[in-house]
Amino acid sequence: MNKPKESALRKYQAAKFALIEMHLYLDTHPEDLAMLSAYKKYEAKCAVLKNEYEDMYGAIQWLDAPGVEWIKNPWPWDSEVCD
Amino acid sequence: MFCYEKMLEYPVKIKNPNPKYAQLIISQYGGPDGELGASLRYLTQRFSMPYAELKGLLTDIGTEELAHLEMIGTIVYQLTRNLSYDEIKKSGFDTYFVDHTTGVYPTAASGLPFTAASMQSTGDLIADLSENLAAEQKARVTYDNILRLVDDPDVRDPIKFLREREIVHFQRFGEGLRLATDRLNSKNFYAFNPCFDDNCPCNVAK
Repeated sequence: MNKPKESALRKYQAAKFALIEMHLYLDTHPEDLAMLSAYKKYEAKCAVLKNEYEDMYGAIQWLDAPGVEWIKNPWPWDSEVCD
Repeated sequence: MFCYEKMLEYPVKIKNPNPKYAQLIISQYGGPDGELGASLRYLTQRFSMPYAELKGLLTDIGTEELAHLEMIGTIVYQLTRNLSYDEIKKSGFDTYFVDHTTGVYPTAASGLPFTAASMQSTGDLIADLSENLAAEQKARVTYDNILRLVDDPDVRDPIKFLREREIVHFQRFGEGLRLATDRLNSKNFYAFNPCFDDNCPCNVAK
């Protein structure tokens, strides 16, 4: 796999994971304003990283880019080790 | 509805195929404490869950379990690439191969196909949340056992991630159970069937 692509994806995955984790926590701690503000911060960061990746390597989100851009390989389960 | 993102929740990149490992790890795809059962359990229990926090929690965890299902499918797929007949026979993967070739199929490692009999949706929030706490622990044990049997760091790394998620989910369900019991009538000391009967606090609140 090409390194810049992998690195861009890893950054987005990491920021997205922070969002997932905080989102879960906020389900049972909905009044935690400090966490809510951390969530907003990461949400903005995540959007930037997603755009950076998508501008270079194509859509991540289901409805963002249909047709050729969407169906192109690799899919998440495809190992790119042997490419 | 659900929206797909064309990426894994956590990267899976396995260099060396190993059909024996695939045959063990498939259990977290379709086994009794696997990710398919987990996602189905939580996404199904949502409908009878009375409290907003718990509807959110079941939706979020159920959705994350779908991402874990995809990771396990990916691990199994990558472990079974480019196998020779000889490797298939020697590893013991032949008993899986004869039915599924190298397709990913929801089954336990012992060969029992996926069954909803390993999960519950009781319509009772205390019973359901207690089941979920146990389910997270059982899945954590399965990941512990996989880590006892698998040496390859490429495989161990995503398995460790998944194991940690079971621990976090257990924590959140524990908080959810506490939120629920705090809202029950204090005279309902044994916390039985709070959703169904007319006089229960969650029904009175509606």
